[in-house]
Amino acid sequence: MKNSKATRKSTRMMIILFLAPAVLLYCFWFIYPTIKAFYVSLFDWNGFTADMNFVGLDNFTELMGDTAFWTVAAKNSAIITFVGGLIIFALSFVICAVLSTKIRGKKFFRALIFFPAVVNPIAVSILWTFIYNNDWGLLNSFLSLIGLESWQQVWMDPSRLTWAILVALIWMYSGFYCVILLAALDRVPENHIEAATLEGASEFIIFFKIKLPMIWNVLATALTLWCINSIKEFALLYAWGGGIDIPPEGAINMAVRMYITAFGKRLPVYRMGYATAMGVVMFIAVALLVFIVSKVMKRDKLEY
Amino acid sequence: MNTRLSKVISGTGTFFARLLLYVWSAFSVFSFCWIIFGSLKTTKELFKDAWGFPKEIQWENYIKIFTEYNLGINLWNSIFIVSISVALIVAVSALAAYILSRVIFKGSGAINKFFVFGMGVPFQLLLIPLFFQFFQIGIVGTKTSLILAYVALSLPFSIFLIQGFFSSLPSVLEEAAAIDGCSPMRTFFSIMLPLGKSGLVTAAIFNFISLWNEFLLALTFISDRADYPLSVGLYSLQGSMQYTGDWVSLLAALVVITVPTLIIYMLLSRQIIEGLTMGAVKE
Repeated sequence: MKNSKATRKSTRMMIILFLAPAVLLYCFWFIYPTIKAFYVSLFDWNGFTADMNFVGLDNFTELMGDTAFWTVAAKNSAIITFVGGLIIFALSFVICAVLSTKIRGKKFFRALIFFPAVVNPIAVSILWTFIYNNDWGLLNSFLSLIGLESWQQVWMDPSRLTWAILVALIWMYSGFYCVILLAALDRVPENHIEAATLEGASEFIIFFKIKLPMIWNVLATALTLWCINSIKEFALLYAWGGGIDIPPEGAINMAVRMYITAFGKRLPVYRMGYATAMGVVMFIAVALLVFIVSKVMKRDKLEY
Repeated sequence: MNTRLSKVISGTGTFFARLLLYVWSAFSVFSFCWIIFGSLKTTKELFKDAWGFPKEIQWENYIKIFTEYNLGINLWNSIFIVSISVALIVAVSALAAYILSRVIFKGSGAINKFFVFGMGVPFQLLLIPLFFQFFQIGIVGTKTSLILAYVALSLPFSIFLIQGFFSSLPSVLEEAAAIDGCSPMRTFFSIMLPLGKSGLVTAAIFNFISLWNEFLLALTFISDRADYPLSVGLYSLQGSMQYTGDWVSLLAALVVITVPTLIIYMLLSRQIIEGLTMGAVKE
């Protein structure tokens, strides 16, 4: 008995000792600034002086009426999250459907598809500027190489820049989600598939009718991750400014707008309260999206 | 639907799906090779003959990024900042993950949820308050501030990831150890930690890659050029191109920034992919 009491005491010691570093670091450098953000968003503040001017909800009222924010930044964020998400998951499904069948070189292709996810986003952005460039870009010169000069475009034209960047984003991220879905697909029990194959179902029907319902929970997790990451997306878009300037309008999403509002570029802006209000809007957007995903994807657990 | 028709449809579907996979893969291989070949050309050659092989290999481009553009210092900063951060992240997360996945106590569920919450916070929300927190204690702009931010902000996902590994270990292990009179502390260090090693390695690799490529926090918290990590260094090198026009060196810099993650990825891609999916797939 004495022994178990001592064990219980040392277990309690251990719980405190082991959790303390993580909890303290997390509270002090993550949770505290997160909470403080809501406070800061109520002030007019340039950051470097002590006088923070309390303005209540003025930052949010101003933001509501800030057409540049909604028609450019929020719109581009929405394009990335919704259109980008739709394409990324559609592509992931198709590629998963191929890679989850018995195809030769499966591991090789899986590694290759995932590869862009480990490349630095600034490098990805530079690569795609080389692809899209008007005068010497690879895409236009490829089109003339195969005799399709009529398809040549000014790919980075302001009217379609967001879509051009979206293609780069899709290339960069699809592999990541594809691989997550693939790992789940590999765990679908073999006997279900065999039974369906015996009844003459094609590989595609097996994928959508049998495999997909079985990886529903993983799909929900992947969608949640996408919602969070797509709103946060910053580096690839910011680098579209060429390393010297504010990125062009088509490359400005909420994250980029927020950064510029706070720290500027060349001309400092330093509107800390207003920028943090944008951060709050982004947080609300993430929370809403995650909530919607969890509602839409909610389903009774499938037994198998 | 009649079966023959559905077979034809799914047959063409399979064909196009495979085609997509092949084109996609070919494009990824091509773009990587193109960057490498480009980095070994002269600038004139790059623009005149974008598709060809380098006529004469220009190693100077690689020498130049270290001598003329000082990317060496950025490389060293990245190695320094990322390795210290990763070591701290793994150590701190492993301890917490172990308690949260293996020890039953009141409040463990709440603490777990508390950490999971962090995974959903876009860093833009806390960027400014954190910046001024660093400002107040006088470390803003230094590598220390960036390391501190990296550690704190990487904790939620790392704890989540390592938990997956610890919770997959059989529970008889602790029971047997307790019967043999092994203290909880010793059970952890001599039994559970060695067994969960693959989880720690996965967390280390994952954090290494994502911090190596991290840009927003590095851009915000590092003020001195001499302290820039590679991603910010690459960004400012890109900016200098409008004066120098030395695009081939920029391509060489792309290779330098990609090679470390590429090597790690090629050696450990199986572990990265499996480790990443462990958390997501296990419910």
